[in-house]
Amino acid sequence: MKPMKPITIAIIFLFGALAAFSSGEQASIATANKEYSAGSYQAAADLYQKVVDAGYASPELFYNMGNSYFKMNDYARAILWYERARRLDPGNEDINFNLNVANTKISDKIEPLPELFYKRWLIALVQVFSVDTWAAMCVCLFIGGLLGLVLYIASRVLILRKIGFWFALGLFVFSFFALAFAWNGYSFSKSTSEAIVFTPTITVKSSPDEKSTDLFVIHEGTKVRLLDNISGWYEIRIVNGSVGWLPKNSLEKI
Amino acid sequence: MLKRFIFSFIVFALVAATTCYAQDIRLTGQSKQVVAVGETFTLIYTLNAQGNGFRGPNIQGFDMLSGPNTSTSSSIRSVNGNTTMSITYTFTYLLQATREGTFDIPAASVSVNGKQITSNTLSIKVVKNPNSQGTQYQGSGNQSRGGGGGGTQAAANAGNPNDVFIKAFASSSNPLQGEGIVVTYKIYFKVNISQPYISKLPSFSGFWSPNLAKENDKLQQSTEVIDGVQYTVADIRKIALFPLKSGRLTIDPLELTCVAQVKKQSKTKTGDPFFDDFFNDSFFNSGVANVEKTLKSNPVVINVQPLPEAGKPADFSGAVGSFTFHSEVDKTRVKTNEAVTLKCTVSGKGNIQLIDKMNVSFPPDFESYDPKVTSDVQTTGAGISGSQVFEYLLIPRKAGKFNIKPITFSYFDLEKRRYISLSSPEFSLDVEKGSGESGAVMTYSGANKEEIKYIGSDIRHIKDTGFPLVPAGSRFFNSMGFWALMICPLLLFLVFLVLWRKLAARRSDTILMKNLKATKIARRRLQKAEQFQKAGQQDNFYIAISQSLWGYLSDKFGIPMAELSIDSVHEALVRKNVSEAIISQFIETLNNTEFSRFAPGEKNVNMERIYNEALEIITKMERELR
Repeated sequence: MKPMKPITIAIIFLFGALAAFSSGEQASIATANKEYSAGSYQAAADLYQKVVDAGYASPELFYNMGNSYFKMNDYARAILWYERARRLDPGNEDINFNLNVANTKISDKIEPLPELFYKRWLIALVQVFSVDTWAAMCVCLFIGGLLGLVLYIASRVLILRKIGFWFALGLFVFSFFALAFAWNGYSFSKSTSEAIVFTPTITVKSSPDEKSTDLFVIHEGTKVRLLDNISGWYEIRIVNGSVGWLPKNSLEKI
Repeated sequence: MLKRFIFSFIVFALVAATTCYAQDIRLTGQSKQVVAVGETFTLIYTLNAQGNGFRGPNIQGFDMLSGPNTSTSSSIRSVNGNTTMSITYTFTYLLQATREGTFDIPAASVSVNGKQITSNTLSIKVVKNPNSQGTQYQGSGNQSRGGGGGGTQAAANAGNPNDVFIKAFASSSNPLQGEGIVVTYKIYFKVNISQPYISKLPSFSGFWSPNLAKENDKLQQSTEVIDGVQYTVADIRKIALFPLKSGRLTIDPLELTCVAQVKKQSKTKTGDPFFDDFFNDSFFNSGVANVEKTLKSNPVVINVQPLPEAGKPADFSGAVGSFTFHSEVDKTRVKTNEAVTLKCTVSGKGNIQLIDKMNVSFPPDFESYDPKVTSDVQTTGAGISGSQVFEYLLIPRKAGKFNIKPITFSYFDLEKRRYISLSSPEFSLDVEKGSGESGAVMTYSGANKEEIKYIGSDIRHIKDTGFPLVPAGSRFFNSMGFWALMICPLLLFLVFLVLWRKLAARRSDTILMKNLKATKIARRRLQKAEQFQKAGQQDNFYIAISQSLWGYLSDKFGIPMAELSIDSVHEALVRKNVSEAIISQFIETLNNTEFSRFAPGEKNVNMERIYNEALEIITKMERELR
């Protein structure tokens, strides 16, 4: 027998370790859920945070975290965690619902710029599933397409060959789209970084300098997109398209 | 000399003018010249014009009880078409002599049309108080009622103010906000009075005042001694007040009009002390006069303390006192559309009537109406006590189990000095679907369908445990696993494709081989048949010929042995573009092979012929297919 490759060993070790730790984390999530139901939201949030600190992620975990902060009326933190959950599972109805509720609680009401209809549709379509779900669908469709191709090649019966051919063609097209959507969501989350404002009131500056002109004022809980960063300052854009600079310590990255 | 004269003239003119003016407008001070120690008397300044900015004298040696009280009277007189209007301002001080001696009262001044008018000065001699009360009524400007055109105003202020007066007492001068106090107005008198009526009740602004004491028909009288003088005292009015706000609140004076019987005095002033004494003697002054008097009480200042903020319950609505709270529903099992009554009773002592609503919330499927409030309040001198009942009529419109949340009632307890919250139990109502028409109508008509009522909005609940946890930042997409899952099937497919190709190639090879070998095998079989012919084995010969021909077709055209028949052979040969002549010759040969076995004639000749025919057709076929 050939000696195992180091990477194989690493993967086996990783999954084994995951399973071992994960059961402990599941227990602390169960405790946290109990604390939440009992109304001690700070305790619940602390326990969730422990799981996050242990290096785990899950849209449900982030969602629960957001709920805990929401119940403590810490809407900025709640929005931060809802947005983190949404990054992992953009189509989840509960996450979007709670995020909307939390957004009604903050002071800034910014009209978003209207998007072109097909762009809006495309974004909506891409966001129906998470990137990983699209990826899994892509894999399944691809394998299905290959099986269809095998049927086409191997069968002697004409009708089966025909079915196999069209089946394979359709599944390959769908698989390609799934791959495209997954890629779209993936590259979006890689390329765009967003942040939540954590200072009660802050003035957006025209350049990364305290002495520069005040442009506009935003408040705690508002989501901004990060465009650039220069020595302790972020160039940000809010949803209505206005651009300015904010010090880094006033923001928390999603 | 001339200069001097002119100067004198101007001075004279000025003096004359002033005198003339002064005769027109006068400020006159009037008072008794002699008073006894402890006696209360009036000091009146009269101005016969409209003035303002009255500046009273600096009075020393007397206690100022009140003043200056201003009153005005005016009269219009028409004589021979000549109308004159006269106006009189009166500024009255109520003074009390405190010690013996002679005291000067300096001039008072008033401004009339921008001119300063000064009054005369007065000198008052205070003598030792004689024990006899009667002397207190000596010589003053008392006027009897109906005494002429002097006007009623003068009469109102006339008479010895000490005879009868009103005083206001508050049971507490610094209560808490909402704490009840009682203000009592007492009348003090030492002359007979009659027909008292309250002409002006203060407007108790800043207080809530339920009418506490009924109007007393009979004045309960008692006696009290003030400064050695005996008075009869009666309570005119008792008013319970509940401060509505904190801070300094002033209660305006109460005004009462009554008729006092004052001993009549004739103004006989001859200047002769003997005659004055003689005629002013009580023997001659035995009559009394009825004088209408307007009496004013003192204003009362109340310092209201605010309620403590610490520990103030959220549902506190201002109830202060000591209360008990009780609530009940008349039934707990009802049918839909049947009324239920929720009764809340607050009873105790305090500002109970200020409790105007209860802190109730009913399930939204209940129809509820404004409560019927019944108060049963007794007012006593100590304050207000009683009970306030709130009856809520509820009509459940839907069947089910409903809970009415506990009703809370908070008040500030005056004795314990802290807030107390009382709460009712939670009522659970079992509502059954009522039988009867209304229910049936509801079912059929659909008119009673309701929109869902949103009572509140909240975020959705947390997710339960059991969701998968993945290491942060790990993604399936673009991970090694993802690409492995994409590429492995593709590789498998390619492997399959290669294998399939090879398999197919091998299969086609066997067909080709058979094709190539077909003639060889056929010839070999024919050689075998020739040997059988020579050996005279007829059956084996025909079998070999038959095998040779059929096998040749099978191998040459890839037709399996099982599918071989004349028809299938014909079809296969046509497809291969073999000419019809050769096909028919081949089929004829095949037929001949079958028939020759049983044909008559020389066996050897027949076999020789069939052998040649078979050899010829195979050779022909070879040539045709090439």
